[in-house]
Amino acid sequence: MAYKEKLSEYRRPLVGAVSVVGLMFLWEFAFTYFIPLDPFFFTKPSLIAVAFKEQTLSGALWVDLAISSKAFLWGFSLAVIVGIPIGVFMGWRRRAEYVLDPFLTALYASPLVALAPLFIIFFGVGLTGKVALIFLLAVFPFVFNVFAGVKCTDRLLVNVVQSFGGKEKDIYFKVILPSILPYIVAGARIAIGRGIVGILVSEFYGASEGIGYAISRFGDTYRLPEMFAAIFLLMIVAVIFTEGLRKLEIILAPWKIGQEAR
Amino acid sequence: MNTLASFYREREQAILGGGFILLLILAWQSVPSLISLPKGISLFFTTPVEVVKALYQLVVRNEIQSHVYVSAVEFVVGLGLAILVGLPLGLVTGRSKILDAMLDPFVTAFNATPRLVFLPLLILWLGIGIWSKIMIVFVGAVFPLLINTYEGVKNVDRVLVSVVRSFGASEWQTMKVVVLPNSVPYVIVGLRLAIGRALLGVVVGEFFGASKGLGFMIATAATNYKVDVVFVGVAIFMGISLILTMSVKRFESKLTRWRPEVAKTF
Repeated sequence: MAYKEKLSEYRRPLVGAVSVVGLMFLWEFAFTYFIPLDPFFFTKPSLIAVAFKEQTLSGALWVDLAISSKAFLWGFSLAVIVGIPIGVFMGWRRRAEYVLDPFLTALYASPLVALAPLFIIFFGVGLTGKVALIFLLAVFPFVFNVFAGVKCTDRLLVNVVQSFGGKEKDIYFKVILPSILPYIVAGARIAIGRGIVGILVSEFYGASEGIGYAISRFGDTYRLPEMFAAIFLLMIVAVIFTEGLRKLEIILAPWKIGQEAR
Repeated sequence: MNTLASFYREREQAILGGGFILLLILAWQSVPSLISLPKGISLFFTTPVEVVKALYQLVVRNEIQSHVYVSAVEFVVGLGLAILVGLPLGLVTGRSKILDAMLDPFVTAFNATPRLVFLPLLILWLGIGIWSKIMIVFVGAVFPLLINTYEGVKNVDRVLVSVVRSFGASEWQTMKVVVLPNSVPYVIVGLRLAIGRALLGVVVGEFFGASKGLGFMIATAATNYKVDVVFVGVAIFMGISLILTMSVKRFESKLTRWRPEVAKTF
């Protein structure tokens, strides 16, 4: 009985794991026995695994990942530092919302990535251009999530703080900040995807190092197993961060589950 | 005087919002006449009037039409394919537990990673023609559609399903009467997100290894320091994106008036 209960609890991840492994086997077998493999056009899991091991053990991929991460961290931190205060300001002051909302919404809804070539010729292919692009893409999720969070702040709590003689500062730090925390996490989750877009575009376009550059270089030189290994590594990192933040969101705000578009 | 004040009060939101954008454009226009820009910056600087002039020139010389046409084809075909695949797949995974469990790891992994990582691979496979762009648009747009349709099906009222079931409805009838109408608002959200991803695919896909399209126009103009042409391209993308997402958004808020406010996402 206990065994059966355990099984039904883990059924979903189990079926998922089986389907992933099954697909890998199918892919491997199809290209080993049935379809002749053209190494300039396609690859198979065993070759990818070898390339992944080589590239990670030699440290080459880690170096690329570290270089991209540095740009990502700078751009992302700037987005947090700039985005959160703007969001709070817009949410707390009605006129600030009226002034800023149409302009920022227009920017958020536009493919700002179209500015990438200009950024790269202006800032060069180094760190600054990447950071600027990542910041530009990642700042809006913070602004608009914090904005929504402040608007949903409980008025009663604000009144209580005021009644007990709290100052403007107390309202910000004792009421608004704790209640926007889940929204900040939700914003961070969306911003991560957009930040990775920033990395990829700037490194595909003009860079000499970084994970995006590694992917496009392996593609240009027809080293498909290495290319898949790099893509796979980036996928792992992206899944760890987005799923981690999603879990954090559920812990911080269990009531929000299922309401939000992804 | 009084009427002016009441006029302002009634339209304060629109006046402040529009006024700020106008003010920014005016400020941008007047920068070169207020301060003399150093050579390193003036090379990268343009003004709104210059951008409008460049647009006029491009249209008159019949240069921009073919770029717009190629980009539009990539966008429409890619997004259309994404709808054709994403909606049915979302419906099916929402209704079938086993398919849901099987596809979940793939959907999670591909959704967390921007599908732009596959751009070099798609160019290698499909060449620099229109199909690599259509595919990058497709893989970008299909996941938001799939996931939101899935959410819509999952969030269907269990009681309603039980009721139609009790009255002897088949799976197809349950789908038609309860599940599909219920998931429409979710699908619309998915569509709005998909439009953004699709445009991203068009822009970036055309930056690399393309010979036509607005993204290509932007990239070549940037390398030739024709900043006004870059901004023409950016402005067109902005305009299209705003018109499409805002009209979907309007439709969406009509359908989901009862839902609590959540943050904007694009």
